[in-house]
Amino acid sequence: MALHWFAIIFAWASVVIFFAVAVYRVVKISSMPLGLRWEVYPIPHEARAKREYGGSYMEETDWAKAHKRRSFWAEVVEFLAPEAIEIGTEIATMKKVRGHNRYGIWAFSTLLHWGIYLFVLWTLLLIIGGVAGGGALASIAGVLGPVACVVGLAGAIGLIVRRATVPDLARYTAPIDYFNLAFLAAIFVFGLISTLADPALAGHRAYFAGVVRFQPAAAAWSVIVTFLLFWAFVIYMPFSKLLHYVIKYFLYHQGLWDDAFKAKGSAADKRITEQLGYRVTWQGPHIVPGKTWLEEAQTSAVEGGKK
Amino acid sequence: MSRQPIRFRDIARLSDEPLVTLDADDLLPLPALTDPRPLTPPRPRWRDTYDFSLDGYSDLDIPMPKTPEEQERLVRGFLTGLEKLLDPENNWTFNKLFRLSLDYCMRCQTCSEACHVYLGSGRQEIYRPTYRSEILRRIYQRYFTPAGKLIGPLLGADVEVNFKTVWRLLELSYRCNLCRRCAQVCPAGIDNALIAREIRKLFSQELGIAPTELLRKGTRQHLQAGSSTGMNQAAFKNSVEFLEETIEERTGRKIAIPVDKKGADILLIHNAGEFLSWPENPAAFAILLDAAGINWTLSSEALGYDAVNYAVWFDDVELARIALRHVKIARDLGVKKIVVGECGHAHKALCVIADRVLPGDLSLSEMPRESCLPLLWDIVRSGAIRFDPSRNDFPITLHDSCNVVRLMGIVQPQREIIKAVCAQPLREMAPHGVHNYCCGGGSGFAIMDTLNFSEWRNAVSARMKVKQILEAFGDVLDPGVRKYVIAACSNCKGTLREAINYYDLWEKHGIWYGGLAELIVNAMADLPGPYLTWNEEM
Repeated sequence: MALHWFAIIFAWASVVIFFAVAVYRVVKISSMPLGLRWEVYPIPHEARAKREYGGSYMEETDWAKAHKRRSFWAEVVEFLAPEAIEIGTEIATMKKVRGHNRYGIWAFSTLLHWGIYLFVLWTLLLIIGGVAGGGALASIAGVLGPVACVVGLAGAIGLIVRRATVPDLARYTAPIDYFNLAFLAAIFVFGLISTLADPALAGHRAYFAGVVRFQPAAAAWSVIVTFLLFWAFVIYMPFSKLLHYVIKYFLYHQGLWDDAFKAKGSAADKRITEQLGYRVTWQGPHIVPGKTWLEEAQTSAVEGGKK
Repeated sequence: MSRQPIRFRDIARLSDEPLVTLDADDLLPLPALTDPRPLTPPRPRWRDTYDFSLDGYSDLDIPMPKTPEEQERLVRGFLTGLEKLLDPENNWTFNKLFRLSLDYCMRCQTCSEACHVYLGSGRQEIYRPTYRSEILRRIYQRYFTPAGKLIGPLLGADVEVNFKTVWRLLELSYRCNLCRRCAQVCPAGIDNALIAREIRKLFSQELGIAPTELLRKGTRQHLQAGSSTGMNQAAFKNSVEFLEETIEERTGRKIAIPVDKKGADILLIHNAGEFLSWPENPAAFAILLDAAGINWTLSSEALGYDAVNYAVWFDDVELARIALRHVKIARDLGVKKIVVGECGHAHKALCVIADRVLPGDLSLSEMPRESCLPLLWDIVRSGAIRFDPSRNDFPITLHDSCNVVRLMGIVQPQREIIKAVCAQPLREMAPHGVHNYCCGGGSGFAIMDTLNFSEWRNAVSARMKVKQILEAFGDVLDPGVRKYVIAACSNCKGTLREAINYYDLWEKHGIWYGGLAELIVNAMADLPGPYLTWNEEM
């Protein structure tokens, strides 16, 4: 019974820790300084005709005058939606890996990612099933669980094998990368065993009913092990680079796709003005000690350049 | 020699022997050029003073630290600089992208096949976009993260920092053109080219170390003399007079090129290298703007006649200084906007990157900065000038400058112009537009000729571009047919000039290069004769 209690508490704790750490990371990244523009085209939120070939508003003369502030909805429809579609397409199809990776990892990587998506969906169905009982969702969950585990396991094993046997990948694969894949493979293996042991998923639903209602219920050891591993993975994720699917937003939206020019008096201008007030502590011979960034920019006749 | 297996910790090897030795037979094969030009080892007298222990090449005419104290100082400076790169205030300009690119690479190697240097070298490991990033990442983990200090071997944090590591990493940061094709294809949005740039920045901003052509004779000379070419104001004024005389000789037109005209609509800033190496280009601009009746001016203020900003490749402080001067000059002249001539990195620096190092009253909203290409297209389509495309009746291909296309999204104006002023259809390179390959001279390589670096540039980094050019003209390689490679960028032109010489492309295949403005002028129906001079001096 102690194990069942632990499995319930661990589930809740993992969700809390995941969100706490992920939110902490997101807040920390969001509070980092506004960097210089460093975009790469094509950019999905450009006008549709230009998006096709990677064009930008800078293809026109007098673009700064023509620029208009977007309304909130225009921002969502014209700006964020195309970006979400582009990122979503990449997440679903891994088209860049398919198009440019020569090491035969696209199929396995896609399988692994879809295994994770389906496993999470399966978990949600089990939670709903645990609360609301069987029904149509139970039938779907009965199929979804084994499919997610088989797909994900194929992907994880395939990637482990590719990384271990292709020298160009092996050289760059650290023990932690194998650990991450093995961790996922273990979840899928036990998930598969649990669904074979409990094909109707009654024990699975009982476990989740217990989690939701905070009442320990009898569940097979394979169910407990599967979800203990899963919750451990949920805790581990935000501490590792496996959070890359969240970080992608910052790298794209606030980096590679950030083509916003600065208008005087805008929020960006105020942030930049503040940042130009930071002290420069770099020690190069051409840098004047003790000045702010703006003061440095206004200083040009400095000797030096090579030690 | 073929591909040589390298471990990351080899970078710390305390030996002067190169990690790899390139062999011409291993480089990317080129169509129609079956006889690979042998690569030459560095001269023995250089070896006593300079370091060639990365790949047998160097542009850094900086003596290696010899004493243990000097070596220790270098290592300490490197680690202090890396700490500053990781600090949000010291590196507010790129901290976010840099940190995230260090932390979240999935090591899938998808970016490798996008890199023309890696492919051009015959896939030598050290040129892979992730190789230098992975070294920095392992150093960062080992020396700056709690996890790396606790479980470093599990994370792969196994690179030791000694003076050889530091020097090879410095050298390695100058084996990337910063074209950012790798970032374009990364499924996670990681920017390995930015990591190369930040390594360069660390060395420049903390230790004052950068290639001579970029820092001492580059940004320093630019800020102190007025131009990175060393051209002072008097020399600039002489150049303008020379352009006026040449225009009259070549076209019969007497044009007074406006200089320091207050309140003009446009301040046009060229790369000053154009006045010295390709005067036909600024002359062509003068002819076109004059014929179109545009109210424009050049500036004779120091820096106002040189649009370059080499710092964009290696130093944010110098970047801000140069950009600030450019924009202030325009504001003092009272012009409505700045237009950047045919110089790719100046486009990117002035129109895009520098915007966020300038105070509010110098923002883009207050002093717009634009590319010359949309302006040229506006002139061509306006009908103000009559064109005869049959004057440009020769095979043409277009080299896209990375800074203009991939990094600014200016793709179509130049193609529309070519369609309007050329008789033959444009032979697009494969790939082209935002997916183009760099010319191999990006990020300063075009002007870096110290020690034996130019051989590396010609043989390795420019190789993919030469292959593309030969393929674009694959059915007309007969040297009797003159062919023109358009490069609307000074540094790209410089690289092509050297590559054409190195591979003997004019003699063997009749391939020449030039800018876009001169091609437009060549098609002007009212001119008495051709404007293009091909390989003859103007």
